[in-house]
Amino acid sequence: MIDQLLGHQNYQLAKHLLDAASLRHEALATNLANLETPGFKRLDISPDFAAQLEKLAASGPTPGPLNLNPTVVQDLDARAVRPDGNSVELDRELIEMSRNTLEYEFLTQFASDSLKRLKTAITGRVQ
Amino acid sequence: MNILPAISVTSDALSAEKTRLDVIGQNIANANTTRGPDGLPYQRKMVTFETQLQAVAGADEISTRTGVRVASIQTDRTPGATLFNPGHPHADENGLVHMPNVNLQTEMVDLITASRSYEANLSVVRTARQMAQRAMAIGR
Repeated sequence: MIDQLLGHQNYQLAKHLLDAASLRHEALATNLANLETPGFKRLDISPDFAAQLEKLAASGPTPGPLNLNPTVVQDLDARAVRPDGNSVELDRELIEMSRNTLEYEFLTQFASDSLKRLKTAITGRVQ
Repeated sequence: MNILPAISVTSDALSAEKTRLDVIGQNIANANTTRGPDGLPYQRKMVTFETQLQAVAGADEISTRTGVRVASIQTDRTPGATLFNPGHPHADENGLVHMPNVNLQTEMVDLITASRSYEANLSVVRTARQMAQRAMAIGR
């Protein structure tokens, strides 16, 4: 019974997106660590993860586990900013990192609120 | 998995930048050392970075993280300037003093770059901690 309560698709989606946001933070941290490394190409979540999400949104509510698989790949669109081929731009990475943190906070807030809604329904008192 | 995402990558980057700052500091301190322990003027040192694959605990096919480390500290062999100063205790028979090949402007630019990189990695650590704290507050 608890599975059905927690199986709501938005909650499941929030869990997967939290994993993706955590993975993206690792990719951005790796980029900033290699800011000065010669020849390093920046990493990011692969673009077909966005395509998977769009397909999921377009298909409406589906039962069963979601099949989302974020992976970290080299960003092929990033141009080299130094003569040695390094493609990491400091400002861009910091902006993407703060955006990612905001998304992470939103998703944790959403997950928290989902659980609190359940508690409100169970106890009858507003949590 | 780590409770702070990518913390080992960031801490390796902080150590590497720290090493680079140390080497720059050494170069600046010895900018006027005309005779070292080997009898020659000081030659500036350079740091080279390279990526290293991190061993991630419980690694799966996704998590090869490339951290950074100091590959080597090498000596810059280009000769420094020579000044004509016959009164100097280290002058050779022609009255020329061989100076170290440290260019203060270059060292200062490197210093600024290294400390900027260090600060960027510090902000990554702060962000990771913020994310972990938010995650631990779910449901509260």
